[in-house]
Amino acid sequence: MSSPSPQPKKSAKQSSSESSESLYESRRKLYVRAVTGLFANWRWALVWITQIVFYGLPWLTWNDRQAVLFHLTERKFYIFGWVFWPQDVLFLALLLIISAYALFFFTAIAGRLWCGYACPQTVYTEIFMWFEQKIEGDHGKQQKLDKMPMNGEKLLKRTTKYFVWGLFSLWTGFTFVAYFSPLQELLAAAPGFTFGPWEAFWILFYAGFTYLFAGVMREQVCKYMCPYARFQAVMFDPDTLVVTYDEGRGEPRGSRRKGVDPSTVGKGDCIDCSICVQVCPTGIDIRQGLQYECIGCGACIDACDQVMDKMQYPRGLIRYSTDNAVKKGWGRKEILGHVFRPRTLIYGFILAAMCVGFVLLLANREPLRVDVIRDRSSLGREIEGGMIENVYNLHVINMSEASRTFRIDVVGIPGARIGSAQSVEVGPAATHSLTTQVLVPYDQGQPGANTIAFQITAEDDSGLTITEETTFLIPK
Amino acid sequence: MLKWIQVLWPSFLVAAMAEAVFFTVIDPQQLYLFGQPVDYGELATYSIGFLGFWLVCAASSLCTIFLQRSASELNRRN
Repeated sequence: MSSPSPQPKKSAKQSSSESSESLYESRRKLYVRAVTGLFANWRWALVWITQIVFYGLPWLTWNDRQAVLFHLTERKFYIFGWVFWPQDVLFLALLLIISAYALFFFTAIAGRLWCGYACPQTVYTEIFMWFEQKIEGDHGKQQKLDKMPMNGEKLLKRTTKYFVWGLFSLWTGFTFVAYFSPLQELLAAAPGFTFGPWEAFWILFYAGFTYLFAGVMREQVCKYMCPYARFQAVMFDPDTLVVTYDEGRGEPRGSRRKGVDPSTVGKGDCIDCSICVQVCPTGIDIRQGLQYECIGCGACIDACDQVMDKMQYPRGLIRYSTDNAVKKGWGRKEILGHVFRPRTLIYGFILAAMCVGFVLLLANREPLRVDVIRDRSSLGREIEGGMIENVYNLHVINMSEASRTFRIDVVGIPGARIGSAQSVEVGPAATHSLTTQVLVPYDQGQPGANTIAFQITAEDDSGLTITEETTFLIPK
Repeated sequence: MLKWIQVLWPSFLVAAMAEAVFFTVIDPQQLYLFGQPVDYGELATYSIGFLGFWLVCAASSLCTIFLQRSASELNRRN
């Protein structure tokens, strides 16, 4: 084997240092220009809706308790009229499947809608940038402030910004913990910061990461940390709507005076003002084509449309379009005609089926559950009056929020009856364990194991009944 | 910084999933620690559980990072 020439060796060394050091290029801080327009309005609408829901829900009450509370210490999830128990994990699984298919479905139709409008990373970054702009001024002033040596003005602005971000983060962390620990208890502890140690830990943990992700890391979270950004490309196809620069119309780009017809100066419609780059929250140039960093927020569309208006050119040099539409020169009608294609229909069908299944399951969910365990320490034994006795432990779970009385019956062997209390009262959203004797006449059933069943019926609602099978042992 | 993120972030995601699955299936009241029933508060148990999962997952990520060699490192002579 010949030794490698110095040249490749050098490049290998270079690439090694690249892969170990600059895989994450040292970040160029972005000064994102604020943008207004249709898609910015949509994003702000989503910011308001998601945050009103997030910050508001813990404050609602329902049946004299917090309306939405994932009560970890009680191991119960309260969601308005429902109380979910660990046994209801099926609903959680279904909900996750529905979320996944909704993501597939919407991504196949219109790209990274979730990322651009609803993802908490986008939403909080938007809010943090809004604070930043109110305190430090627009993107130009922010840049100037960064370059400025430390002085009174800079110190004041910086301190104010960090303080406001900090307060907002703490409030976010507090709200997050209020989903898991009752809000009223947290409120009582808030003035003196006398939270339990773990509550305090999680409030600070969540607040810290909100601050870090939305204030400091921003687009780096989407570019380097988000797993979805890495695999979303597999859900794209040539008919997926994505933010697209119309290269045919825009090129060759170049500056010109306002109102000049591009064809008279041998140029395309792009005036190369670079505003689309300045407004991009991930700092990319959409004119280089679709890139994995693009979160599909449409900020460049809004910005470019405003420039086109000023130039008196038609809007839509950058627009939501599909790969096929750009290549084949399709209009709006053809693009919409390709929204429903096998991929989206299959995703849509599965999504709809899952949603229907979820609703049906929820509607037919019995607010009662019973576990029967035969007492293994005692086999069947003969007692007075020619009866055989078996002992069972019953675990009755009343999932409704009203106290209920349940009648216990036993069927399966003729003459079988309950030898102890025949009804049990279970408090609201509570469980009750009781020991029950079942008596069977000596001459009934076969020696060995017999199948019997407990029937537990709510006294106020005979439709609410559960049958649990178990075995009854008769000595040989 | 990169190494920290590579170790701590994937392990955080997996720990969150492990935590949800584990404590859905297992009631912390049923756990025993050195033969004694766990008598911490539930929130403490969940929190310690999560941090424990995170630690274990991070250890795994750390091993991966330690063992990982880039193509250029593997092909480097001398």
